[in-house]
Amino acid sequence: MKDWRFVVRQLVRNPLSLMGLILIVIFIIIAIFAPLIAPTPEGHQRPYMIPRDGYRAAPEPPDEDHIFGTTQGQYDIFYGVIWGTRSAFQVALLVIGITLLVGLVLGSLAGYFGGIIDEVIMRITDIFLAFPALILAMAIVAAIGPSLRSVMIALTAVWWPSYARLIRGDILALREEDYIEASRGLGASSARVILRHALPNAIYPTLIMASLDIGAVVLAAAALSFLGLGAPEGYADWGQLTSFARNWIVGPPGEPLKHWYAVTIPGLFILFFVLGWNLLGDAFRDIFDPRLARR
Amino acid sequence: MELRAYIIRRLLLLVPVLLGVTLFIFGITMLFTPTQRAMLYVRDVKQLADMPAVIERYGLDRPFVVQYGNWLGQVFQGNLGYSKVVSQPVTDAIFQFLPATVELAIFATPLIILLGVVFGTTAAAHKDKPLDHGTRVVAILGWSLPTFWLGLILLMIFYGFLTGFLPPGRLSVQMDLLVNAAPFIRYTHINTIDAILNLNGAVLLEALRHLVLPVVTLTVVQMAFIMRLMRSSMLESLGKGYVLTARAKGLSERVVIRKHARRNALIPVITVSGYVFAGLANGVVITETIFNFKGIGWWAWQAAINLDIPSVLGFALFNAFLFVLVNLVVDVLYTRVDPRVRLGQAVQ
Amino acid sequence: MKDLIRIRDLSVRFYTYEGVVHAIDDLDLEIRQGETLGVVGETGSGKSMTALAILRLVPYPGKIESGSIVFCGRDSGGDLELLKLTEDRMRSIRGNKISMVFQEPGAALNPVYTIGDQISEVYLLHRRQELGHQAMERVDDLISNGRNGFGAGAKRPFWHWQKRLYRKIAEQPHAVEPRLLNRLPLFRRLLWRLRDEAGLLTVNMLKDVEIPDAARVAAEYPHELSGGMKQRAVIAMALACSPELLIADEPTTSLDVTIQAQMLELFRRIKAEKGASVLFITHNLGVAAEVCDRVAVMYAGRLCEIATIEDLFLHPSHPYTRALLDAVPIPGKELQTIPGALADALNPPPGCRFHPRCPSATPLCQQERPRLKTVGKDHMVACYLF
Repeated sequence: MKDWRFVVRQLVRNPLSLMGLILIVIFIIIAIFAPLIAPTPEGHQRPYMIPRDGYRAAPEPPDEDHIFGTTQGQYDIFYGVIWGTRSAFQVALLVIGITLLVGLVLGSLAGYFGGIIDEVIMRITDIFLAFPALILAMAIVAAIGPSLRSVMIALTAVWWPSYARLIRGDILALREEDYIEASRGLGASSARVILRHALPNAIYPTLIMASLDIGAVVLAAAALSFLGLGAPEGYADWGQLTSFARNWIVGPPGEPLKHWYAVTIPGLFILFFVLGWNLLGDAFRDIFDPRLARR
Repeated sequence: MELRAYIIRRLLLLVPVLLGVTLFIFGITMLFTPTQRAMLYVRDVKQLADMPAVIERYGLDRPFVVQYGNWLGQVFQGNLGYSKVVSQPVTDAIFQFLPATVELAIFATPLIILLGVVFGTTAAAHKDKPLDHGTRVVAILGWSLPTFWLGLILLMIFYGFLTGFLPPGRLSVQMDLLVNAAPFIRYTHINTIDAILNLNGAVLLEALRHLVLPVVTLTVVQMAFIMRLMRSSMLESLGKGYVLTARAKGLSERVVIRKHARRNALIPVITVSGYVFAGLANGVVITETIFNFKGIGWWAWQAAINLDIPSVLGFALFNAFLFVLVNLVVDVLYTRVDPRVRLGQAVQ
Repeated sequence: MKDLIRIRDLSVRFYTYEGVVHAIDDLDLEIRQGETLGVVGETGSGKSMTALAILRLVPYPGKIESGSIVFCGRDSGGDLELLKLTEDRMRSIRGNKISMVFQEPGAALNPVYTIGDQISEVYLLHRRQELGHQAMERVDDLISNGRNGFGAGAKRPFWHWQKRLYRKIAEQPHAVEPRLLNRLPLFRRLLWRLRDEAGLLTVNMLKDVEIPDAARVAAEYPHELSGGMKQRAVIAMALACSPELLIADEPTTSLDVTIQAQMLELFRRIKAEKGASVLFITHNLGVAAEVCDRVAVMYAGRLCEIATIEDLFLHPSHPYTRALLDAVPIPGKELQTIPGALADALNPPPGCRFHPRCPSATPLCQQERPRLKTVGKDHMVACYLF
C-alpha cells in the first residue's frame, strides 16, 4: 500500500490531477447545495422535474429569469443542469455500488474456490461480455421499458462482469501468496481467509477502478437518456437535456448558432464532470501502477 | 498447436458461449407478451395479418424450454424475425444496413490505432515534460467527451455555421439517386469503395465529405483509450533491460524507442484492439443516430425507441457473434506478434 | 602499462523523492590497457553506477555531477574526455570501443527479435563501411561471373547500381543515397546485402563464444535459449566490434555454478586472445580471483582498496576488505559476518563511510574522509590505519 502522504502529494503536484480534483469538489458542492443554488419554485411538486415557463417550442436564449436559457418546451436549463448533477451522482453511486457488491461476491467466490464454481461464473461473465455494453444496455432497457431506473438496472447488468473478472484475477494471484497459506495453516475458515486477508488486498485496485468508472457510468447513462431510453422528458438529467437540443442545433438561416446554449451547456456539464473523474483516474493509475517505479 | 486445429477448437468453444448468449437474449424476450414475441417468428408481411396463427404455430404459450427450442430452430434457419421499423425481415435489414457501418469502421479503426499509438509513444518518450502533459490532456479530453455531444457540436459548427460544408447522412439526395441507378454498379454498397470501383470522383468526394464528421466523432473518443494504454505500455517497455542494452550498443534514442521499445509496447495494444471494435459498436449507435447515417447502429436505435424487439435482439446477437469472432482473430494475431506465445496460451 | 581509462573525482548523485543519494563520491580509478580489473562491493557500493557512468548511461534521476573520465583509445586520436563528448560521438563509442554486458542476459535481450538480428545490429551500426565493402565485392563477383546467361542481360543495370550503392557506403559513410534509402521503410530492403554480410560476421562471433550450431542459434529467439547460451550471446554482442574495453556487470551472478565456471573460462580466453581490457564487476571475491589481474573494493560509493589479486588476498589492508574475506563461508568454520548494516544511502555516516562497522575505528575516522595512500607495489588503501 502506498504511503497516503505520497499519494496526496503526487496528486496535488500534478497539474492535471489537481484540476480533476477541483472539478470533482465543485460538482460535489453543486450536488449537495442544489436546492439552494436552483430553488424549486413554489408549488412545484417534484423537484427532479424541471419547471417549465410556457410551452413554446423554440428554445429561448439566456436572460435574467433563465440564466442558461431554456430548451425546447421552455424547460429551464440552469435548473436542469444543477439538479442534473444530483441525478448524475445518484445514478453513478447506485450503479457502481451494486456493481461492486455483485462483482466482489461473485469474483471472490470464483477466484477463491476455483473449480466448477469458477468455470460457471466465468462462462456467465463471458456471455455478458460478448455484448458491447451500450447495445446490451439498450436491449435491456427496451425490454423493461425506458426510465431512469431501467437505465440503472441495465448499466449494473452490463458493468458487473468486468469487476467480477478483476477481483477474480486479483484473488487468483493472491491465493498463492504465503500469508494466505499461513492463515489456512493456522486453521482459518475459507470465508475468514477471503474476508480478512484476500479481499483487503485485492480490493485496492478495484476500488480505484470503481471510483474512476463513475465518470464512465454517467457518460453511458447520459447516452442512453439522450437516445430517449432513460429519463423521461423534462427530468433533470444531463443526457435528457441534451436530447432536447437535437432539433435546434442549426438555427434559422442567417443565425445558425442561435440556440447554441441548448446544446453546449448541458454537454459542458457532462464533459467537465467526466473530465474531472478521468483526470483523477489517470493520475491514480500512474501512482498505483506497480510497473512504474516510484521516483 | 497447429493453426487450423486451434481455430477449429476455438470455434467449437464458441458454441457454448453463443448458446448462452442466445439463452440470455431469449430470456429477455420472455418479459414480453406473446403477441410481441410473435414478431420474432414472422417471416414476411402476410403473416402479420394473422398473429393468433403465428402464436399457435410456434407455441408461444407453451413452456419456456419448448419455446427456446423453437426459436433456436428458427434462428438456425436464418429467421430472426421481422423488423417493424424498416418493414423487412431482420436478416435482410442487417445486410442492408451493414455496409454503411463497415464504411465507418474502415476509416475509423486505422485512425484510432494510428493516432493512439503515436500520441502514446510521444507521451511516454517525454514523460512528465510538457509534451507528455499536452498529449495526455488531449487524450483525456477526447475520452471524456460524450460522443453524442461531440457529434452535435461538430454538426453545429461544420454544418450549421459553415452552412453545409460537412453534412450529415451518407450522401446528398441527388447523389443517392445517382448511386442507386444504372450505370453505377453497386459492388459492395460501401459508397467510397463503390465510387473508386466505378471510377466516379464526384461520388467519392461526396461520400468522403459525409464521412468526415462521423469518423472524427468515433475516432476522438476511442483514440484516447488506445493512447493511454500505449503510453503505459511504452513506459513499461522503456524500463526494461533490453532498452538499456540497446542504448549501450550505441543506437540513437530514436531507434531505441522505435525499434526496441515500441515493438514490445505494441503487443498489449494489439490484444486490446478487439475491445476497440466493441467500443466502435457502442459509438456507432450514437454516431449514426446523430448524423442520420443509416447503418446498423441507426437501425438499432430506431428499433429500441419503438420497442421493435426482434430488431434489437437480432442486432445484439449479431454483435455478440462478431465480437467473439474478432477476439479469435486477435488471439491468432497475438501469436504472430509475440514470438514467446504459442497458440493455445491465454492472452494476458 | 598505459592507462586506458582514467577516472578522476567522479561524483554521481541521485535526486530522489526522499533525498539526494551519493551513488559515487569522488572516485579515482584507472583501468590499464589489457588488464582485467575487478570491482568488488555490496549492493549500493556504486560499482554498477561506475560502469554506467563510463558509458554515460546513468539513468534518471541520477546525474553525473562532476569529475572526468578520460579514454585513451588506440584509434581515437589521443585522449578523449568522455564526459564532454557530444552524444553523437559518445554513441559511436558505445558498443564499438567500449561495450557492456549486463547481469541478466534474459532481460538484456529483446524478446521479439532473433539473436542474430540483435547482434547484427551492432555490425550494421558500427561496421557499415566494412559491410558495404564486402557487399560491393560480392556484387562484383556476381557481375563478373554472371549467371550463365540466365537473366544476366536484363539484370545488369540493377547490379551495377547495387555495386555503386555499396561502394558509396564503403567509402562515404554519410552519402545521401544510402541514408535516404535506409530511412524509407520499403526501400530499406534494397540494402539487404548489408544484412547478409552482417549475418556472416554474427555467426562467426557466435562460434567464437563457443555456441554450438551457431547458424541455427542466430535464427532463434531469446526465449528459446538456456541461460548460459543467452549470456554467451550477450557477450558475443558486446565483443562484436572488438572493443578496447569490455564492461561486465555481474555476468555470472544469475547463472548456475557449472555454467558460471564455463563463463569464467570464456572470459579468461577473451582476455588471452583479444587483448581488450575488462572491467569485471562482481560481489563475489571468489569469482574475481578467477579472472582479474587487479581488484578494486568499493563501499558506499567510494574506493576503499585497490591491489593486484595476489596482494589483495595475501595482504588485505582495508578493514572492509578483511571483513569481506573473512565472511567467505568455509565448511567447518563458524560463519563470520560484518556487524552493523549497510550505510544509509540518504544519510551516510560522516568521514569514513565504514567506521560504524569497523573494528579498528578511531575518532579521526568520523571526522574526515581518508584519502588513498600507497602501501605496496600497485596497492593503495583509503584508511587511517596506514
